[in-house]
Amino acid sequence: MNKLRITSITSVAVMLLSLTGLAISPAGAAVDRTGKTCVQEGRVVNSGGVTYTCAYTKSGLVYSQGRKLSGSLTVVCGAMENWCAAMTKAFTKKTGVETKFVRLSSGETVARLNAAKANPEFGVWHGGPADGFGVARLDGLIEKYESPTRHMIPAKYQDTDGYWTGVYVGALGFCSNKKELARLGVPVPKSWADLLNPKLKGQISSAHPSTSGTAFTTLWTQVTRLGGVEPGMAYMKKLHNNILQYTKSGTAPGQIAGRGEVAVGIIFSHDCVAYREQGLPLTVSFPSEGTGYEIGGVALVKGAKNPEAAKAYIDFTLSAEAQNLGPTVASYQVLTNPRAKLDRRMVTLKKLTIVDYDFGKASAAKKALTTRFDAEIAVAPKV
Amino acid sequence: MKLDLITRIVLVCTIAVLALLIIFPLTNILITATHENGRAVFSSIFSSPVTRQIIKNTVLLGSTVGVLGTLIGFLLAYAQTRLEFRGKKILHIISLIPLISPPFAFATAVIVLFGRSGIITRDLLGLSPVLYGYPGLVIVLTTSFFPVAYMNLLGMMRSLDPSLDEAAASLGSSKSKVFVKITFPMLIPGIASSFLLLFVESIADLANPLVIGGDFTVLSSRAYIAINGEYDVAAGAAYSVVLLVPGLLVFLLQRYWAQRKNVVSVTGKPSGRVRNIESKGAKFFLLSIPFAMSSLIIMVYVTVLIGGFVKVLGVNNEFTLDHFSYIFSGIGNDAIIKTTLLALIATPIAGILGMILAWLIVRKIRRGRELMDFLGMLGIAVPGTVLGIGYAVTFNHTTKLGEFSLIPQLAGGGAIFGGALAIIMVYTIRSSPAGQRSGIAALQQIDPAIDEASASLGASGVVTFKKVTLPLIRGALLTGLMFAFARSMTTLSPIIFITTPDTPIMTSKILSEVDAGRFGNAFAFCTILIVLVSLAMSAINLLVRGRSIESLSNPLN
Amino acid sequence: MATNSLISIAEGDSKVRASDSSRLQLSNLSKEFGQDPDRTVAVDNINLTIEPGEFITLLGPSGCGKTTTLRMIAGFENPTFGSILLDNQDISKLTPDRRPMGMVFQSYALFPHMSVYENVAYGLKIKKLPAKQIEQEVGFVLATMSLEFLANRAPNQLSGGQQQRVALARAMVMRPKVLLFDEPLSNLDAKLRSQMRIEIRQLQQRLGITSIFVTHDQDEAMSISDRIVVMRNARIEQVGEPAEIYRHPKTVFVADFIGRSNFLTVEKIQSKTKSGKIAIKVLGKNMEVDAHEDAVTASNPVLLIRPESIRIKRSHSKNQEASGTQGRVLNVVFYGAHVEYEIETEKGNLVAVVSDPKHDEIVPVGQMAEFSFDENRAWLLPSGD
Repeated sequence: MNKLRITSITSVAVMLLSLTGLAISPAGAAVDRTGKTCVQEGRVVNSGGVTYTCAYTKSGLVYSQGRKLSGSLTVVCGAMENWCAAMTKAFTKKTGVETKFVRLSSGETVARLNAAKANPEFGVWHGGPADGFGVARLDGLIEKYESPTRHMIPAKYQDTDGYWTGVYVGALGFCSNKKELARLGVPVPKSWADLLNPKLKGQISSAHPSTSGTAFTTLWTQVTRLGGVEPGMAYMKKLHNNILQYTKSGTAPGQIAGRGEVAVGIIFSHDCVAYREQGLPLTVSFPSEGTGYEIGGVALVKGAKNPEAAKAYIDFTLSAEAQNLGPTVASYQVLTNPRAKLDRRMVTLKKLTIVDYDFGKASAAKKALTTRFDAEIAVAPKV
Repeated sequence: MKLDLITRIVLVCTIAVLALLIIFPLTNILITATHENGRAVFSSIFSSPVTRQIIKNTVLLGSTVGVLGTLIGFLLAYAQTRLEFRGKKILHIISLIPLISPPFAFATAVIVLFGRSGIITRDLLGLSPVLYGYPGLVIVLTTSFFPVAYMNLLGMMRSLDPSLDEAAASLGSSKSKVFVKITFPMLIPGIASSFLLLFVESIADLANPLVIGGDFTVLSSRAYIAINGEYDVAAGAAYSVVLLVPGLLVFLLQRYWAQRKNVVSVTGKPSGRVRNIESKGAKFFLLSIPFAMSSLIIMVYVTVLIGGFVKVLGVNNEFTLDHFSYIFSGIGNDAIIKTTLLALIATPIAGILGMILAWLIVRKIRRGRELMDFLGMLGIAVPGTVLGIGYAVTFNHTTKLGEFSLIPQLAGGGAIFGGALAIIMVYTIRSSPAGQRSGIAALQQIDPAIDEASASLGASGVVTFKKVTLPLIRGALLTGLMFAFARSMTTLSPIIFITTPDTPIMTSKILSEVDAGRFGNAFAFCTILIVLVSLAMSAINLLVRGRSIESLSNPLN
Repeated sequence: MATNSLISIAEGDSKVRASDSSRLQLSNLSKEFGQDPDRTVAVDNINLTIEPGEFITLLGPSGCGKTTTLRMIAGFENPTFGSILLDNQDISKLTPDRRPMGMVFQSYALFPHMSVYENVAYGLKIKKLPAKQIEQEVGFVLATMSLEFLANRAPNQLSGGQQQRVALARAMVMRPKVLLFDEPLSNLDAKLRSQMRIEIRQLQQRLGITSIFVTHDQDEAMSISDRIVVMRNARIEQVGEPAEIYRHPKTVFVADFIGRSNFLTVEKIQSKTKSGKIAIKVLGKNMEVDAHEDAVTASNPVLLIRPESIRIKRSHSKNQEASGTQGRVLNVVFYGAHVEYEIETEKGNLVAVVSDPKHDEIVPVGQMAEFSFDENRAWLLPSGD
C-alpha cells in the first residue's frame, strides 16, 4: 500500500519532470548545434532561439557559429515589392527577428544611405544591381561580409572582394507584342540584327542608358559582342533609327510593348515574363549573337544597427529555400544558388549565348559612354 | 503700419516654420550642389547643348502648360460666372476632379485612350499618334493642373463687382469691349498668379515626365536621372538649382504685373447683378472648350475606374474584382489608412500656413515681402526629388548645436513616430503654396481699409485676421485646404526618400504596382485614392461652409 | 472711458463733455517714403494743436499730405520724425488698435460678412463688454443714426448713404477720443453729401468728440469745420476758421483754393496808415485796404477781390477801350439767383458774381461795363508763392 503510493508518486513526478523537460527543451536549446553536422548546404535554421547556417568547412558540412538574434532589421530592397515582402516575411518567420523593408531604386538607395551615413537606418541592401554596389562601396556605404555559404554561388555572380553576393541573374532579351508584330508582318526578332529591320521603324522601345541600368546593359552588350566601343556605338546609332523614344525607366519598354505602343521592347527577360503573366500579349526571345545580363545581389550596410541579424539575413538570401520564393511572387530571374528550383518560366542561361560581360569595365566606362550616347545618338535625327 | 506684438510673434513663428520646413533642408542640398559634380552641371549650361536643350524643354513645357491651363481655367470660370446653361453645376464638379490626379494614373489612361494603339485613336479613328514626349506631357499636365487656374479665377470673378461691368456697359461699351477694358485688367493678378502656379507646378512635376516624357527631357527628370541613374546627388541638386531659375523669373514677372495693376474690387460687397451673355453664337464658342475639356476628364477618369475592374485595361477587358481584393487583403490597407491619416494631419497645417503667409505678405510686412512670398513658394518650386533628399540629409540625424540637440531626428526608420513627422512636414510644405497663392489673390482684392477699420476698432492684427480677414478669404482657404489634401495624397517624389517601413504611402505602392506591371492593382489603388480625396474634399467643404453666414468668393458654391 | 456710456454722454450736459474731450497735438510730425535717391517727403514738419471737441478739417489738393497725416494719427503709418500727443501722452508708438481713435473710411470699409448690427457691435465685442451693454449701446447708436430698421441687413443691401451711416455708427459706438474721417463723403452724390455733412456735424457737436476730417472739397471744409488746415506740398499753408481763411488768406494759393478769386497788381503808396491799413493805388484809384502782415513788407503785393465783392453796371463812356475801372464783358452766365460775368480789363480778366440781378441791369456780352468794389472787402496779400 505504502510502496504502491510511493511508486505512484514517483511515476507522477517523473511524468511531471519529463513534461517540464519537453516543454522547456525548445526554449532552453540546451544543445548548441555549432559545429554539428548538417545536411543541406546554405540552409539557415533556428534552434532554440539561435540561428545557424549550414556551411562547408574543413570538417565537412556543419552548422556555423550560432547567432542569438533579437531586435529588428530593416532591409532596403531593390526588387519587386512582393519579392521583398516574401523574403523579409520568411526571414521573420524563421528567426523571429522583426524584419521590415523599404523599396527603393538603386540610385535612391545610394542617396539615402549617403544621407544617413552616420546613423544608418538600414541593415541590408537586398536586390541591388552590381553597379549600385560598386558606387556604394566607393562611398563607404557597405561593408565586407563573406557569408560562410557564399562558395555555393558561382564566382562570377559575386564580388571578388566579398562586398556583395549575387542572389539572382537576369538576362537581357526582346519583349515583343505578338499582335503588333503580326500587324507589321515582322517575325519575332531572334538577333540584334533583326532589330534593324526597316519595318520596325519607330516600333522599338528601349530605356536611356544614362537613366536605366537595363539600357546600359544593352549598350555594353553591343560593345562586348562587337569587340569595341566604336562598333558598339555604331550599332546603337543604327538601332536609334528604329527606336520610338528612350524611356526613363528600365522596365517601361516592356509595358509600352505590352500596350501595343511599339512592337518590341528591350528589357530583362524576367520582367517581360512577369508582364506576360499579368496578361499582356508578350513573348520573350533572345539574340543569337549573345546577350548581356545583370546580377541582383545582397550586401551588408556599413554600421548596421543589428549586424548579427543582418548577416543572418544575408546567409538566408543565399539559401535555396529563400531563392525559391522568387517564382512564387512572380519574379522569374535566374537564381544564383545551384540548388534552387528551376521554374519553367525562368530562362535557362545555358541555352543562351551570353557575352563575356565585365562589370568592372562596364562601370568604369559608364560615364563616358552615356555622355557620348547623349550627345551623339539620342539627339540624332532618325533616318 | 506698426506691427502689434502678436503679429510680430506670428511673423517670427512663420519664419521659424519656413526655416525648418524648407530653408534648412534646402540649404543643405544647395551646399551639396556646389560640390565638384554640381559645379560641372552649372558650367555645362554654357558649354553643353544637351543641357541647354533640357532647359529650353523645361521652359517650353512650363509656358505651354501655363498658358493653356490658364486659358482653359479662365474659360471655365467665365462660363460659370457669366453664362447661363444646363449642366453648370456638373461642369463645375468635373472641372475640379483633376485636382486629384494620382501620379501615373492620368498618363496611363491617356495612353490607353489616345496612344498609338489607343481605344479612341486607333480603334475608333484609325490614327496612331505618338504621345510620348512634348504632346503627351502638355495634354496630361494641362489637364492635371488647369483646375488650379480655374479655382483661382473663379473666386476672383465671383467677387468682381458686377456694377463695374454694368457701369461700362451703360456707357455704351459692347460686351467684348467691357471684357477687354474692364473685366480682363481686373483679373490680371489672378491670371498672372495662375500662370505662375501652373508654370512652376508643371516644371517641377516628375511622375509624368518619367511615365510619358519619352525623349523629352526636362530639368526635373534630368535631376532624377542624375540621382537614380548616375548616383550623383550633387549633379541632381545642381539641376534642381537650375530648375529654380525659370521659376524665379516667372515669379518676378508675375510680381511686376500684379503690382502694376493693383486692383481692389472688394470694398464692401459686390452690388448689382451679373448680366449674362445671351447670344447663341458667343455661348457656343465660349462653351465648346469647357465641354471638350470635361469630356476628356470624364473619359480619363472612367478609364482609371474601369482599369481597376478589368484584367488588363485595353488588352484584356474581362471584369474582375481581383485587384481590389488584392489591395484590401492586406498589402494596401495599411498604406491607405496611414497615408490618409498623415495627409489629414498635414492639411489644416498647410492651409493655415498658406493663409498666414498670404496675410503677412499682402497686409503686414512691407520690406522683404517678395522674399517671404518666394520662401513660401519654394515648397513647390523645388522638385520633389531634391526636397526629399534635402529632408533625408537634414533630418535623418539629430541636429546639434554644440552639445544641445536642436532638432531631434525626424526622418528615416529610426526617427520618432517612425519618420511620420518628416512626411507630414513634406506634405505641409508641398501643399501650403497653393493656399498661399489663392490667399494672396483673394487678399489683393480686399480693400486694406477693411483691415484698418478693424484695427481702429481695437482689434489686434491676429484678431483682425481671425474675425475679418479669414472669413473674407474663406473661399481661398477652402481652395487651399482641398488642394493641400489632394496634393498630399498624391505626392510621390519627395516621399520616396523618407518613407520607412512604418509609413507605407499609397503613391509609392502605386508605383510599385506599375513597376510590376500590375496595372489593374495600380488603377484600383488610384480609384480608392480618388474616392478618399473626394470624400475628404466634400467634408472640408461642408465643414468650412457650414460655419459662416454667407460667402464672398467660395468657389464651390 | 468704459465707465461712461455713450448714452450718458449724449444725454449729459455740455460741461461733462468738454472735460471728457481730448486735445491732440502734432509736433514736428514728418513722414518720408522710400530711400535716397527716391525719397519723397509726404508730410514735412507739421505742428498743430487740435483743441478738445474741435472739428478740424485737413484740406488740400491730392498729394498734399493730408491723408498721410491722418493715417499717422490713426497709427497706420509710422512718423519718420515727430510725435503725436493725445492729452499730453505720446501715442505715436502705439499700434492702431491701442489708440482711442475711430476712423471712417472713404470706402466705408464695412465688414461684408457681417450684418449692420454685427458691424457696429464688432469693436465692443473685441473690448469684451458684457453682452447686455453691447446690445444697449449698439441699439442706441443705431437709433441715433436712424439705422434700427436696417440692423439685420448685410452691407451690400444698403445704399451708399446708409453704408456711410453704418460706418459712422461703428466708429461712434466706441466713444473714441478722436474721430478721424478720410474723405468719407466723396463716394456720395451731391445732395446726399450735403445732407450727411450736416448730420456728421450735428452728431459731432452733440457728442463733443474731437474730430479730424480730410477732404479736398472746399465747400465741405467750409461747411463742417471749426477750423480748416490748408495743406500744400506736405506743409501747412494756413490754419484758421473758415471765415478767416476765406476773407484773409495768407497766400495766393489759399485764396485760390478756397473760393474763387480775382488778383490785381497794385502800387503801394504808404505801408501803414493811421487806421492800420495800407494805402495803395489800383486801377488808377487810391484806396486803403486791410492787408496780411507779410504784404506790408512785400515788394509786389496783390489785391484779392472775391467775385461777389465786385459790382457791375453798364458803362456809358464813349471810350470803348478797357482802362481803369472799365472793361469789356467777355461772357455772361445767368444762374437765376446770380449772374456770373467775365470781364476783360487792362489788368487781365476779372470774374464777378452779381446776386439777385434785375433783368434789365444785366450787361450783355461785348458791351463795356463799369466795375467797382468795396475797399473794405478787399485783402492785400504777398504775391509770391
